[in-house]
Amino acid sequence: MQAVTLSLADTKHRLYESLSALGLPGNKTEQYKNFAIKPILAKEYELLSPQISKPAHGSKIVIENGVVTRCPKDVKISFIQDFEADEQHYDALYFMSHILAPFVIEVELSGDATFEIRHKFTLKETLLAYRVCVKTVPNSKVEIFETFKTKKSANGLLLYGIDARVARDSTLRFIRDQNAKSKNATVIGTHRFNVEKQGAVELKTFDFGSGQALHLYKIDLANYAWADAQHLLLATEEARRGNVVLIKHNEPYAKSVQEARTILKDKATGIFDGKIFVGKEAQYANASQNSKAILLGESAHMYAKPQLEIHTDELEASHGSTIGQLEEDALFYLRSRGIGLEDAKKTLVLAFANTLIDTLGDGEIFDKIHSDFDKTYYA
Amino acid sequence: MMNIKNLHAKIGDKEILKGLDLELQKGKIHVIMGTNGAGKSTLSKAIVGHYDVEVTEGEITYKDKNVVEMKPEERALNGIFLSFQNPIEIAGVNNAYFLRSALNAKEKHAGVKETNAADFLKLMRKHIEQLGMKPDMISRALNDGFSGGEKKRNEILQMEILQPDVIILDEVDSGLDIDALKSVSEGINRMKNGERTFLVITHYSRILDYLNPDYVHILQDGKIVKTGGPELVKILEAEGYQAIEKDL
Repeated sequence: MQAVTLSLADTKHRLYESLSALGLPGNKTEQYKNFAIKPILAKEYELLSPQISKPAHGSKIVIENGVVTRCPKDVKISFIQDFEADEQHYDALYFMSHILAPFVIEVELSGDATFEIRHKFTLKETLLAYRVCVKTVPNSKVEIFETFKTKKSANGLLLYGIDARVARDSTLRFIRDQNAKSKNATVIGTHRFNVEKQGAVELKTFDFGSGQALHLYKIDLANYAWADAQHLLLATEEARRGNVVLIKHNEPYAKSVQEARTILKDKATGIFDGKIFVGKEAQYANASQNSKAILLGESAHMYAKPQLEIHTDELEASHGSTIGQLEEDALFYLRSRGIGLEDAKKTLVLAFANTLIDTLGDGEIFDKIHSDFDKTYYA
Repeated sequence: MMNIKNLHAKIGDKEILKGLDLELQKGKIHVIMGTNGAGKSTLSKAIVGHYDVEVTEGEITYKDKNVVEMKPEERALNGIFLSFQNPIEIAGVNNAYFLRSALNAKEKHAGVKETNAADFLKLMRKHIEQLGMKPDMISRALNDGFSGGEKKRNEILQMEILQPDVIILDEVDSGLDIDALKSVSEGINRMKNGERTFLVITHYSRILDYLNPDYVHILQDGKIVKTGGPELVKILEAEGYQAIEKDL
């Protein structure tokens, strides 16, 4: 990576200090050790700086090479230069993306909203860093569908992230559809969801393909807040993809449910590093975490690390992890009815995936995710 | 219809079938009875190509081919059907989707037009009603959370829709209440057409009251040791397998 001289504003000095304390991630950094981060950070990139813009009206928010080019009429975009990032985040690249991004793109909401955020990154050998902030208002329901177009971005690196504040008594449903190929840029997303009292975040991520991508989340839960995080990952060829998630129960009566399902073909590596932290003030927490992975390729590798860190006695918590192949009995049952081996395998893989895809309910998003899953599976 | 000659088969290192001979005749109902561990289920698994069972010697001839050399799906596409003793539960696979896939695979293999979704649903609804199954069986996942009786009826539903030629029923009567036994038996009787062959594996005579078998075979220690008519069942009921052993 080229040396970059940065002129840091006051708000960024503290972030720089946090980054310095953590250091740049390397192969021994816990959350990156199966992601092969070192060669990614060692590459030389052209550094692209996002620009403030006046977006045209469109059906979705489009962020093209760091510039907001389109935005729905009922959504207001502003550019915040002194954004207060989460100084307690565990990830160095969270701080780095905040430092490199000259501003945070804030999506201002005044009530219920449903929209798509499309990230377009089409520059090769380029490092692009930007951040998006979403703040719901109390008693509202917001659904965001996040998609990516990363064609022509070979050897690039997209460092981006979402900072979301889920206000009291509001619900944020955040659905990500990321379908990347090996010839596309590496995507590293570092996110923070701050869920206030009685707020709820529903995080559904669908991550398919042969490209390299890692998403790292920190989700903070206040009193009676709720987080439902579901991650479906289908990785092919030599992809390294996954999710690192820290869910923090900070106050009493918060609830979190986390389910990760991973399907690995060929020589792909899947990563699920999940920790649920229940602080000593967070009595009566209810937390569950489950990771299941199916290895279809003989050289596929799953790194699953489900963890609970509990500092209170008053709670209900469970976690589990399984890694295996398709059930032979189930395969045989389908074949005994005339369904060929490859179709039987596909049926079972789809059944495994459907458990999460079906939670989307019927509609365009459901159809798109299904279609993307099929394209990747049969590629 | 199907001729089994000198069949030897093992599960793991244990030889279970030890030179079994059996001829299944076209249009007839054959019953196999035997003590636990005699090899009844191993025989059914050997016929359909279950991965647990390794056939080490002998052959199973059907339509002039040795079935032993065929993949499980090829056996099914050629008309061999096993109603499983313990049908497996598969969460996430819709019952109707699965069964239509199986029917379409069979139709494709036979070179006939594949049944479309609307026609298939009509067909499935008709059979579900005949079997006294709940309508939600169409949308539920395959055997997932089904009761024992529901699973057995679902096996019969598959049999009626796929219309196989050689039907093996492995303890289809186990765990059924009186009503379920009656509807399962009626489903089997609907399949009789003078052409299909049935191989009924059972421990009990009550299902045989509904099915009127043609032949009863006694399987002991991996071989058929006696063949007779329905009268054999009455002897077994009255005197147990010791009566058969005395005759040998």
